[in-house]
Amino acid sequence: MQALGIDVLFKGINMQRLLGGLWISLRISLIAVAFSIVLGLVVGVLMAGDNPVIKAVSRVYLEIVRVMPQMVLLFIVFFGTTRVFGWNIEAEIASIIVFTFWGTAEMADLVRGALISIPKHQYESAAALGLEQGQIYRYIVIPQTLRRLIPLSINLVTRMIKTTSLAMMIGVVEVLKVGQQIIEANRKSSPHAAFGIYACIFVLYFAACWPISMFSKYLERKWS
Amino acid sequence: MRKNLFKKAGAAVLGLVLAGSLLAGCGSGSSATQQGADGPQAEAVEEQAEEAVEESADAGYRTLEQIQADGKINIGVFSDKSPFGYVDENGEYQGYDVYFANRIGQDLGVEIEYVSTEAASRIEYLQTGKVDIILANFTVTPERAEEVDFALPYMNVALGVVSHDDRVIKDLSQVGEDDQIIVISGTTAETYLTKNNPEIKLQKFDTYAAAKSAFENGTGVAWANDNTEVIAFAAENEGYTVGIDSLGSADTIAPAVTKGNESLLNWLNEEIVELGKENFFHADYEATLVDTYGIEFEDTLVIEGGGN
Amino acid sequence: MELLRWDVMRSYLPLYRDAMFLTLRIGWAGILAAIGLGFICALIRHYKIPVLQKIVGIYIELFRNTPLLVQLFFLYFGLPKIGLDIPAEPCGVLGLALLGGAYMAETFRSGLEAVEPIQMESALSLGMTRTQAVLHVILPQAVSISVPAFVANIIFLLKETSVFSAISLMDLMFTAKDLIGLYYKTLECLTLLVVFYLIILLPVSALGSFLERRLRYAGFGD
Repeated sequence: MQALGIDVLFKGINMQRLLGGLWISLRISLIAVAFSIVLGLVVGVLMAGDNPVIKAVSRVYLEIVRVMPQMVLLFIVFFGTTRVFGWNIEAEIASIIVFTFWGTAEMADLVRGALISIPKHQYESAAALGLEQGQIYRYIVIPQTLRRLIPLSINLVTRMIKTTSLAMMIGVVEVLKVGQQIIEANRKSSPHAAFGIYACIFVLYFAACWPISMFSKYLERKWS
Repeated sequence: MRKNLFKKAGAAVLGLVLAGSLLAGCGSGSSATQQGADGPQAEAVEEQAEEAVEESADAGYRTLEQIQADGKINIGVFSDKSPFGYVDENGEYQGYDVYFANRIGQDLGVEIEYVSTEAASRIEYLQTGKVDIILANFTVTPERAEEVDFALPYMNVALGVVSHDDRVIKDLSQVGEDDQIIVISGTTAETYLTKNNPEIKLQKFDTYAAAKSAFENGTGVAWANDNTEVIAFAAENEGYTVGIDSLGSADTIAPAVTKGNESLLNWLNEEIVELGKENFFHADYEATLVDTYGIEFEDTLVIEGGGN
Repeated sequence: MELLRWDVMRSYLPLYRDAMFLTLRIGWAGILAAIGLGFICALIRHYKIPVLQKIVGIYIELFRNTPLLVQLFFLYFGLPKIGLDIPAEPCGVLGLALLGGAYMAETFRSGLEAVEPIQMESALSLGMTRTQAVLHVILPQAVSISVPAFVANIIFLLKETSVFSAISLMDLMFTAKDLIGLYYKTLECLTLLVVFYLIILLPVSALGSFLERRLRYAGFGD
């Protein structure tokens, strides 16, 4: 029985390279999440408002994000924009743009949902108790909204990390691509490395996402 | 009550469908193409699209002076195609193409930024200015020459077909109706078979790594690619035979630059002629390819000084 | 200069149509399997069947916390190295089913949990057997509570099919990439790609919104 690639993992700096690749995925997702949260808060608050134009535009935006695979968006931004506008966007930047475009929509929808889920009578009761508009938001609305939002937005982080695996398809040398390179460079000496390398990448992704999703579940339980 | 609800729901569906068909309409409309993704910016896209197309032509590449001023050149190479372009266990790019690329960087006096590329995106990378030079086993064909500018060649190539030892394909007529041949998307092998043998079913992959893994795992009766590549594969892996070692016309492999980038193209041509005087590509062969092909293939494969 | 070549796009149409059928075929096969798998897993977890419950729990965490692309690479390129060889198409269906099953299981389970225990007790006290109570009382309510998340899962899974191109399935994504590589008509290919995905996904999305509105009133008591 062959070593199934475990030996290859520890050859040279292969393990470090895989971790470096994972870091690139994580970096893309963290930047995209940060942008998404900020933009999503703004868009979400706007969407919960009454302006019919904003509502119509945001519905179209959400619908696009809802039905278009992220991979298609990646290709459009990476290859299409250069064609049409002459912008030269690096693969990593293109990924961040697309994942932010997607994350903002997700986040905005969460924010809107959380805002709407606070019953009207709470605003009314607070007002009846003599709280001012600012106080109502500070003591009543925002704390409740945050409790609903935080677990969900942490969850968004894990989804973002998983989605960044697509960046490989537009040439970002992240963990999967590094894996392919390693398999390829060692095809002769270790023809069964694909099993070990892909299993390792599987575990790496799990190790990156699982604690985060556990944390989000814990917060959800604690605060609900 | 119920009817009312039904109506509302119906209206919502209709609204969505309308919005959808509108989007679809935009997507295939005459003025622009990508609003599908840009949504809110759709109008802006329409306005800018036409002027932008003309601009992109000049924004597409960096001249020799610009590259030297920036101190860095972007070269697109394969990262999963041993022994031509691959990454070793220390994370360094290696191979026949990379050996040449390193020399280019040295003689230009600039740093090299290697960009990992796939076969199908080589033209795209040049046309969108994501790399300055493609040095990724790029076969010169008339169709490609319409899209990019090729420099002088540095290697000979034809197509080859490798198959499993227990069923060696010596002629394409041996490929049965249910058999599949593996090709890599965007290669000359794909173009050739699509054009000349449309009856053969192709199993396409987008990376060398994927194609080779799948072939090893028993997908497809044969794998068609550059003959250099399939000979290397059969030499490095047990159980495979190159049944067809030369298919289609004899072609050459050359560096490519973005269409119109004359300063860089001229420099490359001079460089290749100049390197011929020191038999550079023979040295390159002996450093990177000799383990795979042996010394007897050296003069068949290598083109020195751009040929004639 | 014309931005889009109509004749070129027309000549690509048959290829895209075939690719769309492939996407639909694998997508729906995978989704149906995912629904079945998710349903079984949800019941196992909800009714705390020993041993199986643990296994299902591990499975769900594993597949919810890794990307489909990585799962497919492992299934398609990794497993044959230990003698498990799955052709591309079944592999795509299997990957989608495993991923989707994990998501569907969570969706159904939260639907089941949302049905209050008193419903079960009432059903039992009315003389129903446990199975009858589950079939006629619990499940109908659980299902209607799950619908929005369920539809979201289906859309998510259909979108995920775009990564099948990585294991050489000639789906829409691969066809677009392949044609770009062959004939360098990027804009035409990307436009058709967007249009065909809209054809696949907009009806599902619309149907989802419709169902959501209908079923919101299926529960009683509010």
